[in-house]
Amino acid sequence: MMDFGFKLSKSATIDLDRAGTERYEKLCALSPDARTCMACGSCSATCTAASFSGMSVRKVILGLQRGQDVRPLLSACMLCGKCTLVCPRGINTRRLILNLSKSYD
Amino acid sequence: MIDRIPSGFHPFVLPFLAGMIFVLSYCVYGIIKILVQLPGEDRRRFYLSLVTPKTVLKNIRDIFCDCLFHVKLWKRNRLLGYMHSSIAFGWFMLIVLGHVEVILFLPHRIRLFYYPIFFNYFVAETDSTIQGSLLFFLMDFFLLVVLSGIVLAMVKRVRSRLFGMRRTARPSLTNQIGLYCLWAIFPLRLLAESFTAHISGGSFLTVPANWVFRQFLGNDLNMLPTWWAYSIVLGVFMVVLPFSRYMHIPAEMMLIPMRNAGLKIRNARKGFARVQVYSCPNCGVCIDACPMSVNKANIKDCTVYLTRQLRRGNERRITEISDKCLLCGKCQAVCQVGVDGPGIRILNRAERNYALKPDYSSIDGTAIGRASAGGRVAYYGGCMTQLVPSIGRSVTSLLEKAGIDYRWIDRDGGICCGRPMWTAGRLKEAEEIVRKNEELIRATGAVTLVVSCPICYRMFRESYHLPDIEVVHYVPYIQALIAEGKLQVEHDDICYAYHDPCELGRGCQLYEEPRQLLSQVVRLSEAEKNRAESVCCGGSLGSLSLSFAQRENMTRAALENLYHSKADAIATACPLCQATFSRYADRPVRDIAEIVDLHAKANKQNKQAI
Amino acid sequence: MKENVVIIGGGIAGMEAARQLLLLGYTPIIVEKKDHLGGHVARWHKLFPDMAPAGDLVRRLSEAISEANIFLETRITSINRLSNGYVVMLSNGVSIPCRAVLGASGFRLFDASKKEEYGYGVYNHVITNSDLEAWFNGAEDPRIVADPKAVGFVHCVGSRDLKAGNSQCSKVCCMTAVKQAIELKERFPDARIYCFYMDLRLFGKKYEDFYINAQQEYGIQFIRGRVSEVGETAEERLQVKAEDTLSGKPLKVQLDLLVLMSGMVCNPEVAEFARTIRLDVDSDGFLKSLDNVGGINRSNQPGFFYAGACTGTKTVPETLAEARAAALDIHRYLLGK
Repeated sequence: MMDFGFKLSKSATIDLDRAGTERYEKLCALSPDARTCMACGSCSATCTAASFSGMSVRKVILGLQRGQDVRPLLSACMLCGKCTLVCPRGINTRRLILNLSKSYD
Repeated sequence: MIDRIPSGFHPFVLPFLAGMIFVLSYCVYGIIKILVQLPGEDRRRFYLSLVTPKTVLKNIRDIFCDCLFHVKLWKRNRLLGYMHSSIAFGWFMLIVLGHVEVILFLPHRIRLFYYPIFFNYFVAETDSTIQGSLLFFLMDFFLLVVLSGIVLAMVKRVRSRLFGMRRTARPSLTNQIGLYCLWAIFPLRLLAESFTAHISGGSFLTVPANWVFRQFLGNDLNMLPTWWAYSIVLGVFMVVLPFSRYMHIPAEMMLIPMRNAGLKIRNARKGFARVQVYSCPNCGVCIDACPMSVNKANIKDCTVYLTRQLRRGNERRITEISDKCLLCGKCQAVCQVGVDGPGIRILNRAERNYALKPDYSSIDGTAIGRASAGGRVAYYGGCMTQLVPSIGRSVTSLLEKAGIDYRWIDRDGGICCGRPMWTAGRLKEAEEIVRKNEELIRATGAVTLVVSCPICYRMFRESYHLPDIEVVHYVPYIQALIAEGKLQVEHDDICYAYHDPCELGRGCQLYEEPRQLLSQVVRLSEAEKNRAESVCCGGSLGSLSLSFAQRENMTRAALENLYHSKADAIATACPLCQATFSRYADRPVRDIAEIVDLHAKANKQNKQAI
Repeated sequence: MKENVVIIGGGIAGMEAARQLLLLGYTPIIVEKKDHLGGHVARWHKLFPDMAPAGDLVRRLSEAISEANIFLETRITSINRLSNGYVVMLSNGVSIPCRAVLGASGFRLFDASKKEEYGYGVYNHVITNSDLEAWFNGAEDPRIVADPKAVGFVHCVGSRDLKAGNSQCSKVCCMTAVKQAIELKERFPDARIYCFYMDLRLFGKKYEDFYINAQQEYGIQFIRGRVSEVGETAEERLQVKAEDTLSGKPLKVQLDLLVLMSGMVCNPEVAEFARTIRLDVDSDGFLKSLDNVGGINRSNQPGFFYAGACTGTKTVPETLAEARAAALDIHRYLLGK
């Protein structure tokens, strides 16, 4: 293939019409509290795994809403539960992660 | 004593024989199956324990104390203890004495194993001896004991509160059949033996009854039907036994030696777990004990219903019950049999696939122990302590006052101890975290590791392999510092109620040390339920599915239990308990370290040393 | 003889209502548990958006109600219903018959030590918005160092937080934080100042001007992320952890002072007392207005009225407006119209 010095890249726009949110909807059926996230970032800031892996439950929820594969974000999760403890909306983030794992079966 | 029936047989023994043969074959099959299911290492361990005199003695003692005398129930409630032990021990003695009678009077019949049960039908009394009348007296006495237990059991069905139980488990159909059979067995035995007493002889119960019956019946026509009925009820009970809660009788005989052999549950459904499930007597003591039972909707999530659903194979409910539990361990602590409810649940959680494959290899070893300038004593706060900074601050302040050259190895953050992963049933992943953490801790070169979080401490005790490092909870460590005179403490008149954190008390058996340390600095007052019966704060990470709202009632109930002490403040030793209680408490909640630090001074000599 | 109206609480709501009731020809009787009038505002330094001294407002109101009956350091022991009004019994033994009562018991400042992760009362340099105002007013505070290099403000402490028992927004903290950040920057021009927020709710008149000013003139940095942990370095500086949600990365920063914007929460004692006289309490723990649009001043009991933050979080101008409205509503009620 000839090298033109540039590549065709995927659009940088999030196309909500095309974002597959089936997994998000499935997750919300099991963990309805996922819908109440207000993206404050408490979970990410307190996360034991965040500094090693960039883990963030906030990003997981957002990523699912945008139809992205969020598994890499969870690769270092130790289920320590600190995120559940600090969430101001009382989301059971630990259950959310376990429920999410079910949907990737 | 002579044989009244030369053949030594009568067809009425057949129902009993059939039932007995059925239940024995079922048990033999069950034992073989369970032994086969055990991992090879566990099986060897079990066999070895059966020939080790020390464990054999312990087995015998435990079987007598737990199965026959129900010592634990006596401690809970005397009426409840009497009810259970009168039936169990009384029945046991009837069987033993029945055999003694046969051996003593008709030794050639001992081969017939129905003989001791129906002895009074088959014999005629020729002369009365002291031995004979003593035996007959004992037989009547123990029958009376059992009957008194049965009467209490009937009362308990309508008035369980008299027995210290607010709620009891709802009986299933087979449990009901078994129950009514059990209730019928002994009155029928009394009747049967009474009808025969003028032939076979009897004692203070059966002889007068015989006399009364003969006054208005005048014939022996009732004799045989009653023996038939007795045998049939026994037979039905034996047939129902494997499918009812009464399976706990043989299962417990297996559970005790297995536990004494040090076996652990390794599979959610097989082997030792199976024995545990069948050992549940469905008494329902765990219902009142369960912290979740303050929510009416969660009553059916306690261990008695877990074992029931496991026997039924109701997967939906097994998952639900397994996931909801706080793993506080109180059901196991109060259980007369010691069914390992939390252990069974964790293994059932482990049955499920975990599609997220974690990878901890990227974790940087230098992340922990960065603040590691200092001596050979390392302090590990754990991740929860970062959310309750007063604990870490107080522990380190005490170490400083005592002149200990320490370092706080996870001051800037570390990794999780692995216990939350373990309780979520992700055993392999937890193992991986543990190995990683061991590596990080070894790298600090510490000789003593002081731990403040009981969740971590339990994990360190149970799953870590750190042969050259002494892992110690801060409570005994600080006690030692005071004893050595490195710390000086003052006593204050403020009154605290100490809340035993589940993981520290039931998990690590540290009940008295925290109390001893606290009473050196403040006054202590006990909560209504304390030590092994302490009520979980409701914040436990053990539960995977309880919502924040569902936990609130549990926390409030646990606080009420502490308020019962009328103390000015609440002391605990777990960051999670403290964070949970502070949310709703109407009085201060402090960690032991914080309380001791408020009352501790450095020894002057320490200061010079620094 | 002039008719009595009992006012529960001597904060700005109670004072403003008393002033209006005096003008309307009644005898207002203020019952205040503290030893001074003015409530929370009396402790405040300057009020947004005009930056007028809070003390001036309290002084003006005090002068205007010199003819009212005022019981300081007095509590209400009970309120009994009569067929045509109430008898209010006070802790000093006085009992007052009246046809109308005004509830102006206000709010309670969230106890910041309940958010244990922020270390209020544990660390040496963590204070609240209220502590800072007291310092602005000249009170000594050893927690505020002479030349802080970096200062952080944490929004929503005890507000919008189910875990802290208050899921509602406290309304004024965003603006207060911006105001205090500017005031602090004026005192410490060399300090870097950060505001950690979840959402900036700057809804009132001129609030947006403050925000622009804070960015443009004072260089205050706004970080979108809720602080989740506060630690301490070996040098006793505070280490704050949050997620910088806009860049999607965990963030940490060392500070010399951390100001917690404690929210406005209901007073559980008031709610408990209200239930004994069958006043409705709302799901948020505040007293329940008859309706939240046209009947904010009214309770479910005839003759019992509300003004100010006892029914929910209010700004100072809102409270004063409500107090005036309540006075008129009481006047209408007593005229029997």
